[in-house]
Amino acid sequence: MNRAALAGAFAAIVLSAQTKPDFDPRDLSGHWNRTSRYQTFSNVYSGQGPKDGTAEAPFTAAGKAKFDTNKPGYGPRAVPPAFGNDPMGTCDPLGIPRLLNTEVISPHQTMEIVQIPGRFIQFFEWHHDWREVFADGRALPKGDEVDATWNGTSVGHWDGNTFVVDSVGFDERTWLDKFGYPHSENMRLEERYRRIDKDTLELKMTLTDAEIYTRPWVSDTKIFKLDREKSKRWDEQIYCVPTEEYKFNQRVRDEAGGKSAGK
Amino acid sequence: MAPIANIGHNAIHDCCGGLYLGRMSRHLLRYCVSGLAIVVGSGLAVAHHGTNVSYFQDQKIVLNGTVTEWAFVNPHPQLYFDAKNAQGQMEHWSAELLPTPLMMKNMSVGWTKKTIHPGDQIVLTCNPPRAAGAKACLAKELVVNGKSWPVVPGGIPTVTGGKQ
Repeated sequence: MNRAALAGAFAAIVLSAQTKPDFDPRDLSGHWNRTSRYQTFSNVYSGQGPKDGTAEAPFTAAGKAKFDTNKPGYGPRAVPPAFGNDPMGTCDPLGIPRLLNTEVISPHQTMEIVQIPGRFIQFFEWHHDWREVFADGRALPKGDEVDATWNGTSVGHWDGNTFVVDSVGFDERTWLDKFGYPHSENMRLEERYRRIDKDTLELKMTLTDAEIYTRPWVSDTKIFKLDREKSKRWDEQIYCVPTEEYKFNQRVRDEAGGKSAGK
Repeated sequence: MAPIANIGHNAIHDCCGGLYLGRMSRHLLRYCVSGLAIVVGSGLAVAHHGTNVSYFQDQKIVLNGTVTEWAFVNPHPQLYFDAKNAQGQMEHWSAELLPTPLMMKNMSVGWTKKTIHPGDQIVLTCNPPRAAGAKACLAKELVVNGKSWPVVPGGIPTVTGGKQ
């Protein structure tokens, strides 16, 4: 091989090394903190800031009625928790997708993903909740074939370097977010996870729920950043303990809201 | 935000003793108990699990009290204490602090279940409740037995920033 050919081969190797990602796009494992701003499912107005979203949720009449019965403690419809009905206020499970929309943010921001053969597991710091996604090739059951559960029934597969999670069978007592957006048991949810660089995970969701929304509703793009230090720290054990929450409600929230039963 | 740290005991007594009463609305007056001051300023919107709406975040009161209970639990630590009102009558108050994990993560200055004890003397600056006559508030600054403790992001004793 002459000198020119050697130089060319060397350049090709260097170029190859430079263009090769310094991460495995199919490795989603790690602790992820959400950094994108919207805590709603999509960019509807939530009163979180002057540049907050302005899109409207595509409610059906039944969906709007259900929305009106939900009394959140946040956003433009906020009421004191003493008179609200946010499931969080009684330590009810928050469910999917609320765990992704709202709670994976400071101060209980971490979502840990663990990938093992045939399964993808997400751990959520709030309430020490977790969710399993079967990625062993099984088919997603129909919604009426499974009982409704807090986090739904989920299967996943790779579409290129995007991990796609399809879910059905959600308990309709959960909200989509802390602003009271509802869903029915017939909600179907698609989540598309893509690691776009070594420190960044992207999530886009689409929910289909004809009872509540007139068309498939697409989320804004949720961005998560890898927290490399989290795994080195002691677990903070952020449980929501019903007996403690009950006392807190009774002694502080109800008092502050004018619905006191005494301290 | 008003420089609450600059308010001394004289100002507190002036507040409740009448010097500034003429400038205060009747609504604010009901929070003016002995050893208590009111400051109007801009509040911080820090995550409070939906509770922020229960308080006047643009107002502050200062309470001198004796701790009866310290509950360092999720989602919010709670402080229970007795404080005298303007008539010298003892009232029982409660105060909630920032989300517990936030205090553990971002203000790792020793917040534990043993940080505060019954009998400790406190000076608490807090946002008053919107409900008339309620004795619950949202903690903003806290002095325990003469030592300042950070209760919002930013440290001791006065805070100017925060995020949700």
